[in-house]
Amino acid sequence: MSRNRDGGGMGGGCDAGITGNCGLHIDAPNTPNRVTPDVEFFLNTFMQGSQVINGVEVPIWGFNMDGGMGGGGMGGGGGGGGMGGAMPSPPMRVRQGQIVHTHLNAMAMMAPHTVHHHGIEPDTFNDGVGHYSFDVLGQYTYQWRASQAGTYFYHCHTNTVLHAEMGMYGALIIDPPSGPGTVYEGGPSYTVEAIWAVDDIDMNWHCLPWDAALCGGDAGLNDFNPEIFCINGVGADLSETDPSVVVNASRLDRVLLRYIMAGYVPQRVRFPQELGPIQVVAEDGRPLPQIETIPAGGEIIMTAAERYDLIFEPQQAGSFPVDIDFFDFRAANGMLKPIGSIRTRFNIS
Amino acid sequence: MHRREFLKGGMALSAGFAVPGTIGLLAWSPRAEAADLSIDLSARRGDVTMIDGTTALMFGFSATGAMSWPGPTLVCQEGDSITVNLDNTLHTPVAFKVGATNIRYQASAQNQISFTFSAPPAGTYLYYDDQNNGVNRIMGLHGTLVVMPAGIKDRPFVGGPQFVRQYKWMFSNVDPAWGEQVRNLGDYQVSAIDPDSFNPRYFTINGQAYENTHEYNTELMGHYDEAAYVRMLNAGGIVHAPHFHGNHVEMVTINYERFSAPFKNKDAVSMFPLDVRDVIFPFKAPPDAYPPVSTNQIQHFPMHCHVEMSQTAGGGSYPHGAHAPIVMGAAPQTESDLTRKVDELS
Ligand SMILES: [Cu+2]
Ligand SMILES: [Cu+2]
Repeated sequence: MSRNRDGGGMGGGCDAGITGNCGLHIDAPNTPNRVTPDVEFFLNTFMQGSQVINGVEVPIWGFNMDGGMGGGGMGGGGGGGGMGGAMPSPPMRVRQGQIVHTHLNAMAMMAPHTVHHHGIEPDTFNDGVGHYSFDVLGQYTYQWRASQAGTYFYHCHTNTVLHAEMGMYGALIIDPPSGPGTVYEGGPSYTVEAIWAVDDIDMNWHCLPWDAALCGGDAGLNDFNPEIFCINGVGADLSETDPSVVVNASRLDRVLLRYIMAGYVPQRVRFPQELGPIQVVAEDGRPLPQIETIPAGGEIIMTAAERYDLIFEPQQAGSFPVDIDFFDFRAANGMLKPIGSIRTRFNIS
Repeated sequence: MHRREFLKGGMALSAGFAVPGTIGLLAWSPRAEAADLSIDLSARRGDVTMIDGTTALMFGFSATGAMSWPGPTLVCQEGDSITVNLDNTLHTPVAFKVGATNIRYQASAQNQISFTFSAPPAGTYLYYDDQNNGVNRIMGLHGTLVVMPAGIKDRPFVGGPQFVRQYKWMFSNVDPAWGEQVRNLGDYQVSAIDPDSFNPRYFTINGQAYENTHEYNTELMGHYDEAAYVRMLNAGGIVHAPHFHGNHVEMVTINYERFSAPFKNKDAVSMFPLDVRDVIFPFKAPPDAYPPVSTNQIQHFPMHCHVEMSQTAGGGSYPHGAHAPIVMGAAPQTESDLTRKVDELS
């Protein structure tokens, strides 16, 4: 992969180490009613990564994946040992009906973390919300069963405002029992798939300790002013060429774009006329009651944590830009204020 | 046959219960017919204590004669007429606008007005002061008007989905710097506040944050399959994205557009400033649990805004922000005021 990143970096001199545990319920229990899983993932935390995004060395935290279950590819970085890693974290991919074990090993910098499978709805104990169950220091195995094919993501839910911003997220795809190629059981098919996790980065937040202001105090975590924007961790300097982002397809293809809104500030996605009508087949991991068609050249405004499964049937050859605009999350006068943008491409042969 | 009911703020609150705003429901008598209703509201200012102990000066609509924020939830049914006796105690004009309608009245500084309007179609409405590009609303001059269909207590409108309970979640944000400008320079200085200067430090639902949302008007609670209807309003100045754990929600209305079953399911709902979106939280057993959750197992989940800045208080203290608890598998000890008042409507 041509990702411009530093897999073993030391994170620009930030100290993310332990300073306290205010309000946390730190634990590493056994999994209740544990059974043999159909599929499992081994996630190890890292907190001293760095990744060059749009020419800036960004300190990052995240999950590395052991055991090769993720397969790399679109929607997330590969694994990697040591102290570093990539943003986003590697994708998880399972099939509907499978019992899943997500093994979290949180030892980096002796900092607790969790895995919340966003859009997945397990029992409270396995939901990975620290303040509703426990924050993991050590190991815990999250057990759940995939009930509905669709596009999800996973992220840490400890001091979430900071940990998700630092990069502790990755794509989570549930295929129907028949496997990739169909969005959901009885749903539309596709021949080319792209996964975009689109994020915003405020460098002022990237040198804080893991428990920044958990015990009170002002770490500025209400005040988010991103200046770097990325798709799958790729900044605007490379997003029109990076093969993990750019969509390559032919006029015979049905292209499925799984869009994960992984940022905090609103995003507007503008699709070019040449890609033809946009079929919205699912949102937030749920098939729409009826497929909605947005006319060619349309746009979608997304807010935090939404996912959109979009199908394109391009009829024209060429290289067509897709533009994503970002807006301040504050809109007191009712007007969204643009603060940045990023462009990538559909190359249709 | 219409009756006139005068509803003083003092009647609307349980005696001695001091939580501002959020429980300020009107006290209704059971009735089967349309009625002429009236309420005394005052627009005033006062200090409100944030979850970290910080004090912020805010404006509010009050039915009690004391500072209250957000304003009381007004409940009526289609066909009713509503008279508001508005006492503006502020040294600046105050408007009373009902969102998505032509209903708008304005009281000049330190003046009293009365006005009467017909209940708009069944739905959830933000009433607010629309002056100064959002500043007056965000400063606290906002509340909820719920209009039920006549004679129906378990559906939001004729043909709408059935529910067991209903709730209202009012999202608000507080920038104490705005309050300080008013405190130092006078109420009329709201017109000098630049909306682009908004940098909120507190994020609330029904005027409360995190732990304090464990109260019967905000915490969703029910046995399995007891659907809850949740009326969400964004009176704040940020874009919110309420994210539900435990169940996806069904999108029933988006800004007064009504949908019919089968509904779109979402786990993160877009809430731009002034948005009103009603959802069903179905209280289904969490679908991805293994082993499956049985109906005698109590489960706890959060609803929190995924614009995670809203999960902080004073720049930190995660998760002390816009959050509401969900308890599955048990009925609440006290039904929400909205559920009870609506039960009395028909
Ligand atoms: Cu974490
Ligand atoms: Cu999430």
